[in-house]
Amino acid sequence: MSTGEQALTVSAGAKTRPRKAATRRQKQERLVAVGFLAPFMLLLLIFQYVPLLVMARNSFYDYSLLNPAAEKFVGLRNFADMIEYDDAGRSFGITFLFAFGVVVFVIPIAFAIALFLNSKLPARGLVRTMIMLPVVTSSVVIATMWSFLLDPSNGLINGALDIVGIARQPFLTSTTQALPSLIAMTLWQQVGFGAILFLAGLQGVPSELGEAARIDGATRWQVLWNITIPLLSRTTLFVVVIMTVFSLQAFAPAFLMTQGGPQEATNLIVYHIYNTAFIMQQAGYASALSVVLLLVVLAISMVQMALLRSRWNY
Amino acid sequence: MTTTRIRRTALTLVIILLIIACFLAPYAWVVASSLKNQFTVFGDVTPLSWRAFVPVGATIENYVSLFERTNILRALLNTAIVAIGQVAFTLLLCSMAAYALTRIKFPGANVVFMLILLTFLLPIEAMMVPLYQVVSGLGLSNSLVGIMIPWIASPFGLFLLKQAFEELPTELEDAARIDGAGHVRIFFSIVLPNVKVPMVTLGLITFLFCWNSFLWPLVIVQDPARQIIQVAIAQQGSPTQLPNWGETFAGATVATVPLILLFLVLQKYFTQGMATSGIKG
Repeated sequence: MSTGEQALTVSAGAKTRPRKAATRRQKQERLVAVGFLAPFMLLLLIFQYVPLLVMARNSFYDYSLLNPAAEKFVGLRNFADMIEYDDAGRSFGITFLFAFGVVVFVIPIAFAIALFLNSKLPARGLVRTMIMLPVVTSSVVIATMWSFLLDPSNGLINGALDIVGIARQPFLTSTTQALPSLIAMTLWQQVGFGAILFLAGLQGVPSELGEAARIDGATRWQVLWNITIPLLSRTTLFVVVIMTVFSLQAFAPAFLMTQGGPQEATNLIVYHIYNTAFIMQQAGYASALSVVLLLVVLAISMVQMALLRSRWNY
Repeated sequence: MTTTRIRRTALTLVIILLIIACFLAPYAWVVASSLKNQFTVFGDVTPLSWRAFVPVGATIENYVSLFERTNILRALLNTAIVAIGQVAFTLLLCSMAAYALTRIKFPGANVVFMLILLTFLLPIEAMMVPLYQVVSGLGLSNSLVGIMIPWIASPFGLFLLKQAFEELPTELEDAARIDGAGHVRIFFSIVLPNVKVPMVTLGLITFLFCWNSFLWPLVIVQDPARQIIQVAIAQQGSPTQLPNWGETFAGATVATVPLILLFLVLQKYFTQGMATSGIKG
């Protein structure tokens, strides 16, 4: 340590010395850095930045993926179409509603589970393992499992409803119940992940604060409401953003369970983009839709970063 | 004191039963039904009995027909190849890049870091169409390489490892440098052996992401011989025939069990990695 510092001060002080030796060493270091970074950066540029540019460019063109060479520059036409026809607006609306529904239910339930996992009650390990099962299960298997759970005639949920004397429900085949069913499924899928994030936040809250308040006569609820929850506002914001961004990108439920129906009631935006590009072969319009989705997600992330940086620094 | 204890026990019991009913019962139903024929599956649900969750009179005929009728075995093999390749290359490239960013001083390091940071914000699913064009433009569509290559340079992996590298004390390296060791030797024989836990965590999360990926393989591969497991089970039923519930459940079980076993054994790493990063597959 001290020899290195000495060497640094010496080289910095001896300005009259020929600088060649130092630059050669620096050059060598640069070369090594390039060697270590090049593979990663090359792939990053090809598979993240190039697609970004391709997408931005193609949103001004009319073309199909089957014959991309036959493309036509249409200016802002794709974006104008988005306003003129109501498919994009409706799909984005459904997707926002879906994301909102997921977030509104995930946050309180995940928080409650995290409180349980952070308590001294028994069987916490078992509960944590069980709620994490859907998190490691693929969205394809979850979508398959739930379309059978929700089946109107032979599904498990309708079987359970029979027992408690509630009428059978159509679920995915009903225009009013399809989206709420997908929200319930996504809640089930994501709540364990949210709980783990909240648990990490709870473990960072110093227990002395709550204990001191309890000694001063505060009730458990007061401690929870006035100390724990405000201290976790950063974690909460983090979970809200992750769940929102995740929900905005949901694809498998619409593709496997409802095909966007009935009557486009579950036409989530990524499924709409997939259909537009790969089935209807309107890749230019799909690129324009992707640009808007990208901007929405970026905006949400930016707001999160700004809030995390400025406020709520306990 | 005793009433509080009774209330606590009751509360715990209710919570556990509720969690079992919500989270374990669907899995039990799927696995049990995969071992039954269609009539038994339906009969056990209406009216609902305990038999729905237990494979009474189990038969493996669904699994036999699944492996005979579909190319699921091939899909499992493809998935294993893609997952192992993706894990190996992600670990290598991310750790090399993290080493350069934490151990070598070079001009432009901030620019490089910003470039990586920005990709963290890009929503993957929104980029399917242009990514398809780039990858097929490189002649990699319909190949296992095409499935894995876009995700190898993972910004999430880089951040995870960069953090671990920063926490690693540099004394050992300084000593090795004085003894004349270069960066390559320090990287392989000093830094890497000391970041085993984050490397295992990243490897597991990459494996999970890869095993469960669906939209991208669906888009980039059409050849059934190169398909991976999630797409294979999503397309196992032919659209003209009524679904065979038992066989569909058998497919779902085959696609899920390896991952759940892995999760149960290495749960600590999974949970830790997800909690610190906030990103999953």
